[in-house]
Amino acid sequence: MKTAADPAQLFLRRMVRLLRWRLWIAEKLQLTEWQATLLWAALAGFCGALVSLAFSALSEGVHEFLTGSSAGVVESMRQLPWWACLTVPAAGGLMAGLVLQFGKKLTRNQSSTDYMEAIVIGSGHLPIRASVVKSGAALFAIGSGGSIGREGPMVQLAAVAASFIGRWRRFTPPQQRLLVACGAAAGIASAYNAPIAGSFFVAEIILGTIAMESLGPLIVAALVAALTVRVLTNAAQLYHVPAFRLGSPWEMGPYILLGLLAGATAPWFLRTLRKAEALFVATRLPLTLRLGLGGLVVGALAVWRPEVCGNGYSVVVDILNGSIRGIDVLGFRQIWLAVLVIMACKWIATAASFGSGAPGGVFTPSLFMGASAGYLFGTAVHNVWPQGAADPRAFALVGMGAFLSAASRAPLMAVIMLFEMTLSYDIILPLMLCSVLAYYTAKGIEDQSLYSESLKRKAAEQPAGSLPAGRVADLMKSNPPRLAATARFAEIAGMFLTVRVNNLYVVDEAGRFLGVVSLHDIKPYLGEPEVAELVLARDILREDFPRLAPEQTLSEALGAFLGVTAERLPVVAADGQLLGSLAKGDLLLTLVEKTRATAAK
Amino acid sequence: MEALQARLKILPAVTDAAGFMRDLLERASVSSVCISPEVALPHARTAAVNRLMLAVGRTAGPVAFDAGHPGVRLVFLIGTPKVQVTEYLQLVAGVSRLLKQDKVRSALLAAPDEGAFRAVLADGVRR
Repeated sequence: MKTAADPAQLFLRRMVRLLRWRLWIAEKLQLTEWQATLLWAALAGFCGALVSLAFSALSEGVHEFLTGSSAGVVESMRQLPWWACLTVPAAGGLMAGLVLQFGKKLTRNQSSTDYMEAIVIGSGHLPIRASVVKSGAALFAIGSGGSIGREGPMVQLAAVAASFIGRWRRFTPPQQRLLVACGAAAGIASAYNAPIAGSFFVAEIILGTIAMESLGPLIVAALVAALTVRVLTNAAQLYHVPAFRLGSPWEMGPYILLGLLAGATAPWFLRTLRKAEALFVATRLPLTLRLGLGGLVVGALAVWRPEVCGNGYSVVVDILNGSIRGIDVLGFRQIWLAVLVIMACKWIATAASFGSGAPGGVFTPSLFMGASAGYLFGTAVHNVWPQGAADPRAFALVGMGAFLSAASRAPLMAVIMLFEMTLSYDIILPLMLCSVLAYYTAKGIEDQSLYSESLKRKAAEQPAGSLPAGRVADLMKSNPPRLAATARFAEIAGMFLTVRVNNLYVVDEAGRFLGVVSLHDIKPYLGEPEVAELVLARDILREDFPRLAPEQTLSEALGAFLGVTAERLPVVAADGQLLGSLAKGDLLLTLVEKTRATAAK
Repeated sequence: MEALQARLKILPAVTDAAGFMRDLLERASVSSVCISPEVALPHARTAAVNRLMLAVGRTAGPVAFDAGHPGVRLVFLIGTPKVQVTEYLQLVAGVSRLLKQDKVRSALLAAPDEGAFRAVLADGVRR
């Protein structure tokens, strides 16, 4: 026997001991690829929350700079003289246009900044400079009181942060897309303080699946984001509402009508937004002037009704709490009339802001449309049949959910989001009913949602090559860790310690793939130095390990995974060269996406 | 080794004795297969056997197996088909565990005949 003092042997023993530890830890903690994904999702959630908060603070800063008031958008507009009401949104629009115009020079040749596009049809890559330019423009459009949501850019920036992490870690396209989706979920969770809805929004609308493969990371990202926002700010639920109660089961009757009504109105709302966009384009004005004109329209309306400014949040709060100032008609104060007037003006203002190309979201403005439509309907029912609608404000709340469900075509997300934003469980039954009815009604009228149209248009423009990858070579990760056939046990153990895989690929001198050394095989013999001394990689090689060819299709690759318990398989060229490896997780993600894409056609 | 090769020919597990010997020598040339100064454990994964096999030989006197091991007395020769990785590792581990014990080694060297030699091995395996 050799003496124990032999340094090579001591080194080997230490190696083997380390490997046994690593195996023990791996077995106890089982840090699989999915768990690593969850950790990255958590980081995306944290960064997403930070950038969303930063954007929110900046937009408030811009608003204060332009109006000289730190109050809410509607309140500060109310305090401004008429000429300032008219010019501030117009000036904001012009500035947003200038930022976009100058930004174009910086961002030439950069791909689309739309995060939904990046997730659905792109590689998950979001250009940072172009996104920053767009967000900068959004700051002015929103800060000046444009009738548009600031939540859109917050979500966009959170997605960009996630895309940045993915690029830094060199993720494969499916992983990158998932991470960007996590960023978007984090953005929504921080913008609306609604982590569940944030994850379901992305799952339902963008990914089109609530399979756990993607939903798990989304939930983690959203909860980390919500937690971050709650720690850094004193966030609570967005809408504080009085407790509503379903007076009698008969109230469900009017709610059915409300669902149908919201489902019919939402497509019209979206259609007018698109129409306005076409009208602005038809003016043939340069972008800067177009944005200025859009701002001017909002400003003109704001002179009379300052409520049209901003995303509509504060007006919704007023409607829900019954604190809207009514309009006097024949000596009677009519709240419903005020709501009707604001709704009409807000509709035009949102069409002007959105149509002129102001970067921002229409998610919160849709909530406003739903709240006012619901309130008006509730009031009408109340006047005819008081028991059928005991409190019109409850109809406003349910109307928000129904309208959102119809506009976004995501009824599940709409129900959850309304619940999370109001923490009012009492209205959940009518809310569920109305959301589902509104969804089907809207779907029957028009097969387009708030988000589907631009995505479909962009997808049609994309050449087939950039659609989700269809071959093994497209998903393959190159340069997998490899071993020489003559590698000794110490080298094998060392490599298993540094790279977290279950199979090491063995190649000959020319780089041709020979087989794998499986951690599972050597595990029982880690405590035996004699085996460690005697055994080379070639002695324990598994030559029958399945391998993939780069030109194989993804379904063929899936078939290859069926027979083995491996997380990845080697990709080998026709001449035997080891090219890379394909991860099962990437494959499953891509196949889920492809199935959804085919189903959508 | 050659004496063993002659005997290998009659084993049903060995389909190509010359090829097997070539594979064994090739493997031994890559890295030493001796686990102690007097024990060699030549082994090869080869197409020349149709199942896992172990052949054991004792030399009459010390034999120079390779440069580092001039006094080898016991040769445990292992052949395995290419697919049987688990069984192969089991056998290698079992044999080296057995021969690590000084008592077993000296009993094998002292065994007067094949029967006694087999008995020592069987006894060791049982324990």
